[in-house]
Amino acid sequence: MSETHGKPLDLDAEDVTRFDLVREGARRDGVEIAYYEPRFDPSEPKGKREKRIERVIALMLLTTGVAATAFVVIYGWWDWKYELDGETDKWFTPLLGTCMGLALFGIGGAVITWAKKLLPKETSIQAHHGGASAEDEQQLTVATLENMAEETGITRRPLLKGALAVGLLPVGAMAVVPLGALIKKPRGELFDTGFSKGTRLVRLDGSPIRPDDVSAGGIETVFPGIPGGTTNHYADSPTLLVHLRPADAKKAVPRKGQSDFNYGPFYAYSKICTHAGCPASLYEQQTQKLLCPCHQSQFDVLEGCKPIFGPATRPLPQLPITVDDEGFFVSKSDYIEAIGPAFWERP
Amino acid sequence: MKLLPKIKPAQLPAAGAKFVDDRLTVATPMRRIFNKVFPDHWSFMLGEIALYSFVVLLLTGTFLTLFFDPSMTEVVYDGSYTPLKGVEMSRAYATSLDISFDVRGGLIMRQIHHWAALVFVGAMTVHMFRTFFTGAFRKPRELNWLIGIGLLTLGMLEGFAGYSIPDDALSGTGLRIMNAIILSIPLVGTWVAYAIFGGEFPGGGEIIPRLYITHVLLIPAILVGLVAAHMALLVKQKHTQFPGKGRTEKNVMGERMFPGFAAKGGGFFMIVFGVLAMLGGWFQINPIWLFGPYKGEVVSAGSQPDFYVGWIDGWIRLWPAWETRNFDYTIPAVFWPSVVFPGVVFTLAALWPFLEAKFTKDVHFHNLLQRPRDVPARTGLGAMVVSVLLILLISGGNDIIAEKFDISLNAMTWAGRIGLIIVPPLVYFVTYRICLGLQQHDREVLAHGLETGIIKRLPHGEFIEVHQPLGEVDEHGHTHLEYAGAPVPKKMNKIGATGAQPRGVFFPVERRSDVEAEQKALAGGHKE
Amino acid sequence: MKSSVFAKMGERFRRAVVLLLALGALGGLYAAFSPTSTAKDGVNTAADEATYVREGQKLYSEGCISCHGRNAEGVTDRGPSLIGVGAAAVEFQVSTGRMPMARQEAQAQRKPPVYDSDETTQLAMYIQSLGGGPEIPNGDLREGDMSAGGVLFRTNCAACHAFSSNGGALSSGKFAPTLKETTDRQLYAAMLTGPQNMPVFGDNQLTPQEKKDIIAYVQSMKESKDPGGLGIGRTGPVPEGLVAFLVGIVACMFAALWIAGKS
Repeated sequence: MSETHGKPLDLDAEDVTRFDLVREGARRDGVEIAYYEPRFDPSEPKGKREKRIERVIALMLLTTGVAATAFVVIYGWWDWKYELDGETDKWFTPLLGTCMGLALFGIGGAVITWAKKLLPKETSIQAHHGGASAEDEQQLTVATLENMAEETGITRRPLLKGALAVGLLPVGAMAVVPLGALIKKPRGELFDTGFSKGTRLVRLDGSPIRPDDVSAGGIETVFPGIPGGTTNHYADSPTLLVHLRPADAKKAVPRKGQSDFNYGPFYAYSKICTHAGCPASLYEQQTQKLLCPCHQSQFDVLEGCKPIFGPATRPLPQLPITVDDEGFFVSKSDYIEAIGPAFWERP
Repeated sequence: MKLLPKIKPAQLPAAGAKFVDDRLTVATPMRRIFNKVFPDHWSFMLGEIALYSFVVLLLTGTFLTLFFDPSMTEVVYDGSYTPLKGVEMSRAYATSLDISFDVRGGLIMRQIHHWAALVFVGAMTVHMFRTFFTGAFRKPRELNWLIGIGLLTLGMLEGFAGYSIPDDALSGTGLRIMNAIILSIPLVGTWVAYAIFGGEFPGGGEIIPRLYITHVLLIPAILVGLVAAHMALLVKQKHTQFPGKGRTEKNVMGERMFPGFAAKGGGFFMIVFGVLAMLGGWFQINPIWLFGPYKGEVVSAGSQPDFYVGWIDGWIRLWPAWETRNFDYTIPAVFWPSVVFPGVVFTLAALWPFLEAKFTKDVHFHNLLQRPRDVPARTGLGAMVVSVLLILLISGGNDIIAEKFDISLNAMTWAGRIGLIIVPPLVYFVTYRICLGLQQHDREVLAHGLETGIIKRLPHGEFIEVHQPLGEVDEHGHTHLEYAGAPVPKKMNKIGATGAQPRGVFFPVERRSDVEAEQKALAGGHKE
Repeated sequence: MKSSVFAKMGERFRRAVVLLLALGALGGLYAAFSPTSTAKDGVNTAADEATYVREGQKLYSEGCISCHGRNAEGVTDRGPSLIGVGAAAVEFQVSTGRMPMARQEAQAQRKPPVYDSDETTQLAMYIQSLGGGPEIPNGDLREGDMSAGGVLFRTNCAACHAFSSNGGALSSGKFAPTLKETTDRQLYAAMLTGPQNMPVFGDNQLTPQEKKDIIAYVQSMKESKDPGGLGIGRTGPVPEGLVAFLVGIVACMFAALWIAGKS
């Protein structure tokens, strides 16, 4: 590397300056300092410009000091605690950000200005020895590698070869197998929800619902009336109970074989979008569409919630409902198909 | 007894260095590092933005772990944010709220962390496109390109995990969609989903703790390793440089690492950190307290992922309702845009250096970069990819755009679908033509000189514009300067003809003599 | 003649414009909320009531009759029957400026109201006198439990109006409006009557107390400050991504240009 540029320097020669040593060090590292010029001659008194630059840098560092101190003070003593109608606390985060930002800008600006305006101008050229190694080097390394294989004599010892395979493959398996603890067999849960025959439809607070609780043109998010039915444990069960206005109810065309799933003008559809599982619950009561806010699939409520726009391919499943002896809504059975996004095993 | 010999301060560096070298023998390798030369160009600093954001992520992230508990245990919120008082939620969400309202300075740390994440992935993307458009990925740097793709992919995953763990209603919506995406994989989808979530969505509370350890240990550890490898390869292979006077395939021209380059790098870290601090202080991000705890029946209009997943989400929105059903088995519509498409995109991106070398039959080493205009096909392709990503990104927020600008949502979807078919080829064609035009203009200037803006009337009445040649001219007034891949000055004041120019940050002024010398030196080899 | 100075200025100008537009967009997203309340309970006696109904009828025959018909029975293809819609519906539609409608369109838009609050009450009482219907109770409609209201809001309202109550897009150009300017009474009326495409939330479904809970939550959330700085519209990842690029990465790139620039 060192032979590439110039002649080697006699380090002990009398007139060698320190920069000569620097240059020599660089040369030995394959670097030629092609152009080097101090911005300000250190032997001359400081000029106006140099002084100005120094002042600017000092000012930046001062800013840092002030801002960082302000950060500490604000962090420690500001009335920061959040109150809904508090006045001062809303300034806590912006003030901290400003102080931290200014402090960092100060250091950054100072260091960069120092480097740009005070350090000598320099252009260095480093030789680039990319590419493959010399052929003889390659040859030697390959020989070493081959010799390693030879030394083990693996080719001569088929028994050991086999024994290695037999012995080590299971070790690999042993390393991977504990991940098997993660594996769970997908069960029927994918196909069923919290509803079954006679499950009451309840509100978020667990109270059951009568038909006259939902106004015409209204919707209610309902859950299975079982323990934990309104929790995320039954995240697949939220259902949208729609009460169609009389004029719309007349126009409703249920899906094939589901003409008795509704209870008069009351229709219950799964709230979980058949596309990606978001609650498709943006109900337009005049145009009778249900919209999913995640990927904009749209469903026609009057036609069994069949998809009419967007990426969804399947209608929202309909929950068969009726009213029990006490006049509360109940499901006649669980959904007759899997709710939510499709998957491989789903017909 | 004197433990340490007495040293004057001025001798400290020498004494310190000797102390270390006596024990480690590092004088030579250390000096080699000090003397390492780095080229100077603003576009080489894009990767630094990503690196520094990553450091900020580690710092702020560590602070957040001191207060965050990923537990899914149900608790009743009793913190300072009164509109949620008494609401049942997971401890993960409750502690996220505590960080925002009850930990001193917690909110700004959360916000800097989130902004840094966005800037991290954003800067990686911009850096990747810089590398692509200038051909910096070519041999011998294919391996570092691959590491870069790995970093970007993991960065996205890491971001998604971070978006998910506060367990607010928005992150739950994201997880719900992720669950659907995993379910959609043919054959193994349900098994994988059960393995990850611990059951049918949302599982028995396993997912958030699992994402947490992935987010704070698993992926960061790999990221740190990959970042180190990325930098190590950069140092070993040396940085690329743009063609210019004296620059060849066999050298690097610039500044030695110490003190100049290191100072600038360190200063830049402070500035990036400062920008993130300002963002964290002034711009509210991910206000989880407005979203409430995740509940299966809760959703909000305008639910989006962060931008780096936004393009995939946009593709999911645009994808038509195409589902395959055969013999009682289903491939859901969501599978293609969310699994296959990103898979193809990242595979193609990873293989690109090898594919391009194959197409162009290029087996050479390249340490000099290319100007995008000089490789019209690649530049056109890159521009096309950018246009696809932008259309998808816009479509990923199409409901917000529809609402804010009063456009029909359905029209936005269709515009995205049609745009995705029409725009990319158009962008390719236009970019290609622009590149050719720029190439031609470069050569024109080299042959005939610069337009001076001076109109001259010849004796026989013809008007001509006077051109300023860039070098010596022959009897026809032509300059024989070969184009050599470096920028050609296009304006008179670029060669200092209009007198002293203010030193510009964006447009450094070069002297005419410099330009002439440079173009001559560059073309030296080709001149007859 | 192409002047390089102009070209350069043009370039700088363009940059400035892009920057300004970006900042403007951010600023636009961050708009202040202004609470208003028009509780209207000045009608005390039967005599008052009769006068109000009479005045309301007069207003009706001037401004509403052409679309809704002589006896509010509706006109085919122009306006629906108003019999039985109740005072609440009238107050909502008129006080938000949606009625009278300027022209037939997919969705009536909020605009400055044509009638003042007295006239609105008169109209409402006239329609109420025709066929009854839901009415907005008087008194403080915000007297509720914020966090209970929040739970109900997120289950029933956020899907369309968004967590931030900023509104959201519906199908084919329709939208759920922002609740930014909506008053307590208007919120109450909207829940009670389900204007346009909004579903109805009758009193059996969301009790008057639950409606007040929701109003308490929505109004306090709207008025609440953003503890983390500028709210950038409280619109989620879309403006956040814009800021990350237009502010974050652009600022860092300017710094890079400065650092690498010749000095």
